[in-house]
Amino acid sequence: MSTKKKIRSTWLLWPALFMLVAFFLIPTLDILRASVYDPEFTTKHFTKLFSSNVYLDVLWRTIRLSCIVALICAVIAYPISYFIVQRPRKQQIFFLFLVFIPLWMSVLIRSYAWMVVLGREGLINAILIGLGFTDAPVKMLFTTGAVYVAMVQILLPIQIVTCYSAMTEIDLDLMRAARILGAKPWQAIRRVFLPLSLDGTVTGAIIVFMLSMGFFITPALVGGRKDIMMANLIEFQVNQLNWGFAAAISIVLLIGTVLCVIIIKRLSKILTGRLVGGGNA
Amino acid sequence: MNKKPFNLSKFLLIGYFIVIILYLTFPIFIVIPISFSNNPFLRFPPSNLGVLWYETYFGDSGWVEATLLSLKVGLIACVVSTVVGTLAVLVLERQWLRSKTLLTYFITSPIIVPHIFISLGMFIFAIRLGIDDNAITLAFAHATIAFPFVFLIVGASHRQLDPTYERAARVLGAGPVRAFFSAAFPSLLPGIVAAAVFSFFVSFDELIIAEFMMSGQQTLPMRIWADLKLEMRPTIAAVSSILIVASIIGMGAAEILRRRSVNISNS
Repeated sequence: MSTKKKIRSTWLLWPALFMLVAFFLIPTLDILRASVYDPEFTTKHFTKLFSSNVYLDVLWRTIRLSCIVALICAVIAYPISYFIVQRPRKQQIFFLFLVFIPLWMSVLIRSYAWMVVLGREGLINAILIGLGFTDAPVKMLFTTGAVYVAMVQILLPIQIVTCYSAMTEIDLDLMRAARILGAKPWQAIRRVFLPLSLDGTVTGAIIVFMLSMGFFITPALVGGRKDIMMANLIEFQVNQLNWGFAAAISIVLLIGTVLCVIIIKRLSKILTGRLVGGGNA
Repeated sequence: MNKKPFNLSKFLLIGYFIVIILYLTFPIFIVIPISFSNNPFLRFPPSNLGVLWYETYFGDSGWVEATLLSLKVGLIACVVSTVVGTLAVLVLERQWLRSKTLLTYFITSPIIVPHIFISLGMFIFAIRLGIDDNAITLAFAHATIAFPFVFLIVGASHRQLDPTYERAARVLGAGPVRAFFSAAFPSLLPGIVAAAVFSFFVSFDELIIAEFMMSGQQTLPMRIWADLKLEMRPTIAAVSSILIVASIIGMGAAEILRRRSVNISNS
């Protein structure tokens, strides 16, 4: 540790700070300004946003969809992470590698892949018709269901990895101890493992939620006309050259995201408290 | 192992794992077989096997130029974000700073903010300065998105360093810079390479900032996006297949490199 004091070269941090100020902080301030100056001070963008049901509907739909996607990811990922964490070390690395494969592909290509699978003449319809389950192709692409299927697939690896890393911190001997003391396997999981691993699950769900809130490509490609989200609304307004209004929507999106994250954290704390309390009774 | 009463649930768990892995990977690999078809439309099963859509891709100057622009922007963004992120690690991981927590939050904050928000901000900022529609501006914008990840990845491998080596080098008379480069840097390098590959793909795959900022030229994601909105021609299947294979090779190599470095430092 003594070497750490010898080099005092904080100037190495300056490029990072410069880039953050120029390409992150000032742009953020630019959005704030664009939302209320046009060119004089005005609240018309926010008034427009909150006076029309159309925009509030999109906001509500975005929040709801992101919550459901985060919940589905959390539920699917939990047993997967549990499975991986219980394997020998070498196998863990291989299984994580499998989970990571889709994470390396661009969201654009992964959404396109779902168009190929779910399309009118796509894989699933070809199978269904080939097996004689249906005569005419089933409409799957451009539906809300397609958005869920694709978004969960895209975000699931992130949830698994977060949940898994939290689980690796848990001492598995605690489970063994619970078993020796007479707990059934499911009791050991519910009363020991679950409360300890819930934090990582919630963290993962929050990351998935935040990423979903800003999703743009997937709803536009695999969703229907009704499935547009906040990000699609922003892009549309930018293309219409309504930057001020786009800025106002972005701010509402950001604040909405932060508020939801706070609420999710609160709720999860209550839930964890209940679980731990249940363990004592 | 096999005699535990847990057996059935373990069996179910393995089945569940296989199903989910198929769900995660299968849609991606299905793109590759359909790219080798000479049909003008996307159709299952692919008939009329051939490389027509690869020929279309390589023969179309628009696609090739878009690819080259994305490569250029990606390389600049990769170099900038890797250097800037690594330098930030060297300050925040090795030096005692009063505002360390605050600075770490600040550096990682672009990850948390919705991507569309940053994109719009960068766009308005670039328009105001008149530096929009410029590959260099786009590269720096991408680098800003990517370097928090570099900071996290390199920071994680820095925390695995054993400080004794560097201390030994110092005791043996090396200056602080030389001690760092001879004792710490080699074990840090695989993490840095992994971060570089990752940040390259962050830029190479990025759509929205490019879509906002670039009006004259098209990056590869912009070109794919434009084509996808019009019609689903199998050219995209060919491009996607190339990108899928390239991503697997690039990221796979980086991952192996990073793993190997962890093994070396553990042994």
